[in-house]
Amino acid sequence: MDIFADLMMGLSVAITPINIVYLLIGALVGMIVGVIPGFGPSAGLAILLPVTFGMDPIGAIMMLAAIYYGAMYGGTITSILLNTPGESATVASTFDGFPLAKNGRAGPALVMQAVASFVGGTVGVILITILAPMFSQVSRSFGPPEYFLLAMMGMLTLLVMIGTNWKLGVISALIGFALGTVGVDLETGQGRYTFGSAELIGGIYFIPIAIGLFGLGELFYAFYGGLHRTGTGAIVQYDKEERFWPTAQDWISTRLTMARSSILGFVVGVIPGAGATIASLMAYSTERSVSKNPENFGKGEMAGLVAPETANNAASSGAMIPLLTLGIPGSASTAVLLAAFLLWGMRPGPLFMEQNPELAWGLIASMYLGNMALLAISIFAIPLFVQIIKVPYRILGPTVVVICALGTFSVNASFIEMFLMFGAGIVGFFMRLYGFSPAALVLALVLGPLAEEALRQTLTISRGSFMIFIERTPSLWILGITIALVAFLPLLNRLGGKTASSGDAEKAGS
Amino acid sequence: MISLTNGYGSRLRNGILAAAVALPVGFAGPALAQDYPSADETLDWTIAFGPGGGNDIMARSIIEILDKYDLYPGDVKPENRAGGSGAVGWGYLYAQSGNPYGISTTSGSFVTTPLQADTPWQPEDFTPVALLATDDLVLVVNGNSDIQNIEEFIAKAKETPMNIGGTGTVNVDFIVPTLFAQKAGFEFDYVSFNSMSEQTTALLSNALDAMVGNPGEILGLIESGDLRPLVFSGQNVPAALEGVPTMGSLGYDIGVSMPRGLILAPNAPQEAQDWWIETMKTVVETPEWGEYISSNTLTPTVIYGEDFRTFLTNTKNGFQEVLKSVGAIK
Repeated sequence: MDIFADLMMGLSVAITPINIVYLLIGALVGMIVGVIPGFGPSAGLAILLPVTFGMDPIGAIMMLAAIYYGAMYGGTITSILLNTPGESATVASTFDGFPLAKNGRAGPALVMQAVASFVGGTVGVILITILAPMFSQVSRSFGPPEYFLLAMMGMLTLLVMIGTNWKLGVISALIGFALGTVGVDLETGQGRYTFGSAELIGGIYFIPIAIGLFGLGELFYAFYGGLHRTGTGAIVQYDKEERFWPTAQDWISTRLTMARSSILGFVVGVIPGAGATIASLMAYSTERSVSKNPENFGKGEMAGLVAPETANNAASSGAMIPLLTLGIPGSASTAVLLAAFLLWGMRPGPLFMEQNPELAWGLIASMYLGNMALLAISIFAIPLFVQIIKVPYRILGPTVVVICALGTFSVNASFIEMFLMFGAGIVGFFMRLYGFSPAALVLALVLGPLAEEALRQTLTISRGSFMIFIERTPSLWILGITIALVAFLPLLNRLGGKTASSGDAEKAGS
Repeated sequence: MISLTNGYGSRLRNGILAAAVALPVGFAGPALAQDYPSADETLDWTIAFGPGGGNDIMARSIIEILDKYDLYPGDVKPENRAGGSGAVGWGYLYAQSGNPYGISTTSGSFVTTPLQADTPWQPEDFTPVALLATDDLVLVVNGNSDIQNIEEFIAKAKETPMNIGGTGTVNVDFIVPTLFAQKAGFEFDYVSFNSMSEQTTALLSNALDAMVGNPGEILGLIESGDLRPLVFSGQNVPAALEGVPTMGSLGYDIGVSMPRGLILAPNAPQEAQDWWIETMKTVVETPEWGEYISSNTLTPTVIYGEDFRTFLTNTKNGFQEVLKSVGAIK
């Protein structure tokens, strides 16, 4: 078999002692940059990029790629333990990860997230191996009309996030949409609410907002509850002896979740620009929709953690497809990888895999190894990470504030973003107190600008006609799936004997 | 802030390489100024964007060459001071008025950011060293399009207005096709994207009729035949695009491009400016520089000193005029 021979060739290139060392360095760095809130894989990649000057390209690209997918493993740890997403793609992991930890199940949650990440990452690489040429067609069929419809499909997720108190949920989402209007209007080039600030030209990035709303908001809420004065002062409970490993129930109940989320995450990851964050949010809402007990989501349901975790790792593999088959970077991180290829004098494009088979297959083979290494590292490191939660809250709290501030600042070196983060922290506290939905706000902030830009691009192209949405085959597909979801999901819920209003998902973002 | 320090651990390796290659260049910096640069002073090299971008690659390529040929006696400390589309980094350099050891590389945002935001500085405020290259654009259509060449494109665009995609609006991506269309006498709808990747997939999915972009980023797709180049905005076509006409050769010269150059802090001493001009004359002759130019498909356009300041002023005024006429800026 051709693919098998290619993969073996790739493995033979990848498995040399020095390359394995590079791979492990990359995996570790990735986990670490993932753990620090705000400081994501693209920043980690960018910092190590100059180090790779003069290195053997294969070892270098293995290391850089490992940082990229390693961050998906690390980013969840703080989501679970501190309700602070370490990385944008792990925002959705706070929804059920943190409640799980609060219920004393931090150990199983961390193990399951490592396993879910491994499954997502590995399924993703398998799909790259066998289906890369086919999926390159997917990334080639996405124009503005498809992006708009995809954003609309993503907004279905809002319905889930908004939950029972729909008025508060809608207000939360509207705040998110409003924040999304800041920045230079892509169409006319005019600044909207930028007040002449160069730092706001690019708009309000959702990472500082998410860190503030979830991380600081939770922290303030804990102080409000007087947690720093209680004896143990710990925010979550962890019992090493009894509750480290997940129960059989955890494994059984999440089998299908992993399968569904791997595929979903991968497909969304293949679409340039959609990426791991949207994949993880969509996986979360899909799981909640098909679950037999949606009312448990947001209260510590294992499937609610496994879904986004599997999806974000599968998506990070999927994002390699447009990079390797078209030379199009689908995310900030893959853009840095592209810059690396250019630095080494390689020219990514449709002929890349033919012209550089050793590098391309070496990279793919290394992703199998990297995911295995990360699974082992994650599980061994869990006892280390859970030490965090044994730190008394009066010490942990201020430390988290400092880390959040530093992490936010490190992304764009912007004071404005840091102030936004603190502002969002205060808003997040009140949202938590009065039952608003921070999750809906963040989702609206992510999807709002995407939808607006895509719609305006679409209508410029079609000269104002909405017919373009049904004239293009890919659009029709997405439209069909969206309509099917809207029509059948409530039906499914009802057939399952669930009352549609049972999910109080405003908890989902708390 | 991401700050990177390029240590000089690689000096030995570079030294060996330099010994092998440096024979034709054979001298270390011009001998006109004895006081500048002092080997004790560290050169504070501001890179106004993050690592891995075009500006970063250019700065690090120049530093590699300075290092390899021993052109700069002291230490060079490159720092990425990203933020606000260059406003942060160039603002940092602006604040060092008179300092001969503050230096930075420019790119397109050096002209466009002050047009969009209230930056305290303008491009012509800095001490100009040299324009080294320009980033030019290529107009491409989908490889399966009926349009085979630029004449067919213009003829078709005159019948039914086409849409052309580009990245951003207050940007050369918008200005180049606008000026070209004015000269060639056709109309088009500009569709603005956030990134090259989104606009490329839009073209590949047949949503767009055409787009403009830096050849370096899409050369792979041009080589494979997925994209068809029609016309190039620079004066000289890069080797990889051989056979593609320039806008000038069609008689529609637009005279706008993005400056990739070198600047010092405002009011830097004359001797510092002179020293860097002489040094850059050596740098642009090296084979490494030639390699940088060709692998990034830049157009080598070299002008020095005050001529560079004039170039910046003209480019800024040209941009301002076009952007005002369409209402993008006030």
